[in-house]
Amino acid sequence: MSIHSKPLPRDAHLIAVSLCALILATLVGCLPTGQQRSTGIEDQGAETKGLADNAAPVDAVYVGEKACLECHEHVDTQYSHTLHAKTFRDNPRNSQQAQVCEACHGPGSKHVEATWDKRLIIGFTRNWETPVAIQNVQCLSCHQGGQRLHWVGSTHDKNKVACSDCHNPMVNNSLDGALRKETISQTCYSCHPKQRADFLKRSHMPLPEGKMTCADCHNPHGSRTRPMLNKDSVNEVCYTCHAEKRGPFLWEHAPVRENCANCHLPHGSNHDKLLVSARPFLCQQCHNQLFHPGTFYNASQTAESALQPGGAASQRIIGRACQNCHTQIHGSNHPSGARWQR
Amino acid sequence: MIDPFRLKTMACCVGAALGSLTAAGTQADSSTPRGTPTVLGNALNPGFLNTVPARDPEGLDTQAHPRSPTGFLYGWPILPPQTKETESGWLYSGEAELGGLGVFGDTDNAWFLQYKDLQSGPYLNNFSFQANQPGSALFFETYGGGIGYRDQFIGAEAGRFNDWKLDLFYTEIPHAFTSSYRLLWNGEGSDDLTLGGLKPGGNLNAATTQANIQETLTKTEESDLGLVRKQGGLNVEKYITNEWRVFGGYNLEKREGERPFGAVFGGGGGGGNVEIPESIDYETQNFIAGLRFDDGLNNLNLQAEASLFRNLTGTMTFENPLLITPNTITGIAPTAFTSGRYDLYPDNNYYNLLGEYGRNFPDFYKARLTAVASLAWMKQDDDLIAPTTFSLAGGNINGVNTENVWNTTRANSKQSADAEINTQLFSLGLVMSPTEKLDVEGKIRYYETENKTEFFACNPLTGQWGRLLNDGSGGSFVVPNPTAGNNPSGTLQTAYNQAGCNVAAVQALGLVPSAGNVRIRNTPYDYKQMNYVLSGDYALGRASSFNLTLEREEFDRAYRERDSTWENSLELGYTNRGFNFGTIRLSAEYAERRGDTYNVEADPNSNSAIFGPAPVANGTNVASWIHAPSGLRKFDLADRDQTTLNGRLNVIATEAMDVGLVLQYQNNDYPSSNIGRTDRYTLGSVSLDVNYQPSAALGLYGFYTYQQGSMDQSGIQSLGCVIGNYYYFYSDGSIATNTTGVAPAPLNSGARLRDQTRVSGTNWHSLCGDASPINPLYNTARAWSVESDDYNHTFGVGGRYDFGWARVELDYTYTTGVTEIGYNYNPDALGITNPDTLALIGSGMPNLNTTQQFADLNVIVPINKSVALRALYRYETGSIDDWHYDGVSENPMPTANTLYLDSGPEDYSTSVVGLFVQVTF
Repeated sequence: MSIHSKPLPRDAHLIAVSLCALILATLVGCLPTGQQRSTGIEDQGAETKGLADNAAPVDAVYVGEKACLECHEHVDTQYSHTLHAKTFRDNPRNSQQAQVCEACHGPGSKHVEATWDKRLIIGFTRNWETPVAIQNVQCLSCHQGGQRLHWVGSTHDKNKVACSDCHNPMVNNSLDGALRKETISQTCYSCHPKQRADFLKRSHMPLPEGKMTCADCHNPHGSRTRPMLNKDSVNEVCYTCHAEKRGPFLWEHAPVRENCANCHLPHGSNHDKLLVSARPFLCQQCHNQLFHPGTFYNASQTAESALQPGGAASQRIIGRACQNCHTQIHGSNHPSGARWQR
Repeated sequence: MIDPFRLKTMACCVGAALGSLTAAGTQADSSTPRGTPTVLGNALNPGFLNTVPARDPEGLDTQAHPRSPTGFLYGWPILPPQTKETESGWLYSGEAELGGLGVFGDTDNAWFLQYKDLQSGPYLNNFSFQANQPGSALFFETYGGGIGYRDQFIGAEAGRFNDWKLDLFYTEIPHAFTSSYRLLWNGEGSDDLTLGGLKPGGNLNAATTQANIQETLTKTEESDLGLVRKQGGLNVEKYITNEWRVFGGYNLEKREGERPFGAVFGGGGGGGNVEIPESIDYETQNFIAGLRFDDGLNNLNLQAEASLFRNLTGTMTFENPLLITPNTITGIAPTAFTSGRYDLYPDNNYYNLLGEYGRNFPDFYKARLTAVASLAWMKQDDDLIAPTTFSLAGGNINGVNTENVWNTTRANSKQSADAEINTQLFSLGLVMSPTEKLDVEGKIRYYETENKTEFFACNPLTGQWGRLLNDGSGGSFVVPNPTAGNNPSGTLQTAYNQAGCNVAAVQALGLVPSAGNVRIRNTPYDYKQMNYVLSGDYALGRASSFNLTLEREEFDRAYRERDSTWENSLELGYTNRGFNFGTIRLSAEYAERRGDTYNVEADPNSNSAIFGPAPVANGTNVASWIHAPSGLRKFDLADRDQTTLNGRLNVIATEAMDVGLVLQYQNNDYPSSNIGRTDRYTLGSVSLDVNYQPSAALGLYGFYTYQQGSMDQSGIQSLGCVIGNYYYFYSDGSIATNTTGVAPAPLNSGARLRDQTRVSGTNWHSLCGDASPINPLYNTARAWSVESDDYNHTFGVGGRYDFGWARVELDYTYTTGVTEIGYNYNPDALGITNPDTLALIGSGMPNLNTTQQFADLNVIVPINKSVALRALYRYETGSIDDWHYDGVSENPMPTANTLYLDSGPEDYSTSVVGLFVQVTF
């Protein structure tokens, strides 16, 4: 039985188009780009054997912070207010940190001799052209482990996101995290603007109101889940703030117990309560059994229509719709709560 | 007017901040107890202290417009604070912004106040203080804002750099649900709601009850329902050695307030509905402790966590204003059900042990191994409550006296929930670089939830199987089938009751049950999940790469419609930062989910159908044995073909300008779903961002996002399936039934008999189970479909300018969303013939429309080096149309036993004016 026509093979076209685009992009990527023709952003590396994988030239030596400040004096007016500066200067944990500037940028003796040669010191800006892999290794030399234990192979790592795409430890523009932007969420929105739009929808979690950030649910440095969640599963993330829904309950609701995202869009929704679609239609996507779950609900059943000839109110349409009766939809501990009514 | 509590709190906090020097902030990076916020802020300080700072005219360094490797401009550095030094060598700086707010317009609107608390009165917008002593590496910091208001926040941090750290925080989050609720009860927020002026249980008849309630409603003003989440805690961290760190933390969260809720009486929706307020009084304590190790090659995270949730309103009793219509129970007057009682969320405990290990093998293809083991226990053992508080004297259910056999916890098959779900996660991953240009990764992940909860719906006092519903006003019980021919003549209604709540003993009786869908036990949903990932990343150049990921995900579920599902996916990705103009990132993923046989009877052991043989006798309505049409596919288990495309382009438009373009598309096909979510579920978005920051004095930005989504679904309005009945199917979709075999004349004179069938004791399962044109129960003519389309536009623009004598910042955001819901149905098949009704139904629901605009203007005028005046103007407006609430305000009681008290979200327009003195020191 089919009451709907089968999907057209539109996806096949999309896949083909996207594959072609990828192949084309790959070919384009293999061609010399403008920068490669000039000095070659990051493509300096193949021939630049003076650079070790994770450091400045192997034969360079540390010159000390004073030497750096001779040319970069103004940097210190900003940098000295940062956590990195205070940590490195006041209580370094090892000899690398004690080098302050060179702790991150690598030994600077060669750079001092030829300041124009970008190959001679590690830079973290696009113009400096140090390969991202080298930049990130430099950061991880202190920050490996902890929250970054799963960085290698993470989605951001695969997409060649640099630590310095999100962080700027040279200035103190954010309250925490040495971020490139003022907040965590603003930083994330740079690449994820859809989520910014979602968080401005009718129902959303309080990110725009400054009470949450993306990092409340996600670990951008990689995690033990594919969507970089900071707990073991979607539900465990949600239970972090919604501990009451953790239960377990005598009477469970299968999609609720398995994945909150079955019914909720965590980033925002046009519908009440972050719901995927409007009730009762959302519930009817799974419930089409006897009696009212399979009933055709419609516009003649609103409280307003009930005032018109031909209208008849339905408690499955008005207000909280199905949850007018099935109030304990996340689970019930009442001995009679199999249908989540008490 | 600010209340005394707020004044006191403000005074305390200002004093603490400026005087005692004992304060700080949380760190997203640290391991903190669950629930610890990653940010402290509020609407006027959204994640940062919004002081409208001056920017450093010299920027950071010689490079005028530094960019990140992707090409993003770094935010222009703010002018750093001037630090002062004490005699003991402490360097310190701070600021505070104190003044007042004036809020005008719809200041009580719940949408405006959803997560913020802006009211007229004195206002400490924000403050901060930082100090450190270079010689000792000691430091402390504090900051906060909105002190005394319900969205206040304050943090304090002290310690020694690179050694130890203690941080404390306190934050409040208001959540306003509605400002249009007509409260009929006293004691809101408590465990006992008593009616203010109405008679519990209603009056003599439904009409009188309705009239009394409506009269009361005319005198009841709309009020607010909302809650406040208050949270405070501390975290400590200490290096034991250069490699080992220890950390710990604790936080306490309290949530108090009310929210719109509902209560139903009778056996279902027809018995009575009233929208009561739910009392919220939660308390959650979270603990964490752990160790971290890093020696450059090995990384180890060990962590133990506990979260203890307590509901201080475990049960809530409310008086019922309605005259309800009882169901199942006989001998009890409708007015007897004067109250209802909820068992609200139970207390629960959560424990987690986590171990994560990473190991680098620099000499073995630069490999890195990661391993994770995580064990968690979720437990709750709340005492169960009795099914009702009423004695039910004089009542009878299926031949059994109800007096004092349901108002005791002895009516339950167990006295406490003893519910437990344990989870396990094990993961192993290896990344290596077999060649200079190639990285490969393999990962295997196992996650399991094990539900150990068991509960039977049987009253040991009576032996009755099933549930007393809604405080006794309804019931769902199973007895031997009373239709002649199903069971031996003389079988008593109470025959099952003698089995002592023993399923096997009931089954041994061999009696056909009265219904197939009465719940007799809980379903302990759990699952096992396996993921296998193999991926490769090939460097095309030093700035470009191509990656490919293959993944297989397998689910095994014990009590769902499908025991097993598996999904195979292929993802291709391409990144290139080597272009002069910027960076491109592209990815395409195709995933195909399939599974084993889909059985609409997900957990047969939980329903009464297992009590005995299937019915065969004429006159038996067997609909309850067929729980759903066979074409239904629940979307989380259904076959699915998913295509996801992502494109991100970051363009360096000019030296001082970024342009970002992001395209995202996802399509989900459900190729085997005929009922439920069907056809296509698509989501698409395109976003454009522009950031222009030519100087310290000027910065401009703009963004726009368009989103479109579409979702299709279908259903079938069920009819009946009675053994022995003939069903007649007419060309207009209408269906008639009788036992004669002679087709009645169609209701619509233009219709003709299309087909007919007879339900028998042997064919009913297939005939009525598979939706078809000749299915009496799930007939395709009675199918309906719904298409829901979402459209959203989000636009923002703003900037800053420094005139020298004043700095100005302006931000404007516009967001609008529309959801169009259209449907198709056959009115003749569904028996909808009234032209007025047909006109009201139309072709879809009214559009759901939401539009909001926010405009913020800040002007700050420095008076001298340490004092500035700041003026703030914020304008917000919102308009909303939601058909769920259409007419509720005018017609809150559309029937005699349904009562809706929340009129829903309302339009608003609000202005906030602030004037502050900003002092830096």
